[in-house]
Amino acid sequence: MPNSITANRRHYEDLAVGEVIDLAPTTVTKQMIFDFAREFDPLPFHLDEAAAKTSLLRGLASSGWQTLGLTLARLSASFLNSIASEGGLGFTDLKWKRPTMVDDTISGTATISALRRSKSRPGSGIVTIDLDVRNQRGESIMTMTLANLIAVRHPEAVPMHEIPYDRPSGHEGAKS
Amino acid sequence: MTRWFEDINEGEVFPLGDHTFTRDAIIAYAKIYDPQYLHIDPEAAKLGPFGGLVASGAQTAMVGQRLMVDALFAEADRLRAAGQEPGVGGPSPGGEKIEFKAPVRPGDTLTYSLTTLGKRVSNSIPGWGVLSNEITAINQQGELVYRAVFASFLKLRGA
Repeated sequence: MPNSITANRRHYEDLAVGEVIDLAPTTVTKQMIFDFAREFDPLPFHLDEAAAKTSLLRGLASSGWQTLGLTLARLSASFLNSIASEGGLGFTDLKWKRPTMVDDTISGTATISALRRSKSRPGSGIVTIDLDVRNQRGESIMTMTLANLIAVRHPEAVPMHEIPYDRPSGHEGAKS
Repeated sequence: MTRWFEDINEGEVFPLGDHTFTRDAIIAYAKIYDPQYLHIDPEAAKLGPFGGLVASGAQTAMVGQRLMVDALFAEADRLRAAGQEPGVGGPSPGGEKIEFKAPVRPGDTLTYSLTTLGKRVSNSIPGWGVLSNEITAINQQGELVYRAVFASFLKLRGA
């Protein structure tokens, strides 16, 4: 059944490796850090300023999961909601490199690093996206790679580079 | 878990408990962190690849984090009740593989568990060790829906 929600969005064939998507800045307030930590990550260094000072993070810092969540929210707004997304498959090489501290402003880029057809789902492709999230000083705070399913517009079409080239008869071509 | 690094046994499995994903919680999470129609619009999601609303994969992971933190506190309480001093944990430097293997739908109940795959003394931070922990979640049909491997810091005793 055609999907009227995503019919006019970009499909697998419309993407290219190397495309860079900007992720808009977000300032992470103390209240945001507390609200997120209470729900998903209530460790002392995300909830208690005194305890945070003596922790490995040396001060109140957001949960790495919050950095990840805010990044995916930006990616949805600027990319995933403009393609025929069929859901996320997962993340690899997730690195929380530096903590996000109170009132840090995080932004970043998402770069399409690979595109391939799914082996198990003939009508789908997999877009691989490298995420690089930085703070206001330009320091990298989180990197990871996201794999996301995307609908193929014409699953039955054979890509040009997979069509064998048959030389016209009598033509010897270049000797190699 | 909140023990000292020396007291962690490789291969030990820690049950983290269950969590039921309600339709309202799936939508509330995704409106903030993953506002795609698959996760926020039950009607539109019927036209999508899963034939209905599914949870954001990241929500599945974050619920696992919350259950793990609750289990850390419970373990610390257990040790204190036994007259022992709990260990000190630190933040996670990341994860190598986080896989969403099957959709999580409204009403699904996931059972999470943590297995310590390995441990080593940190090269970069003196006095600390690094654990490699696998977290899995299976649904009420016994299907594996989530699997991830994370690193986390844990203090050495007396360091």
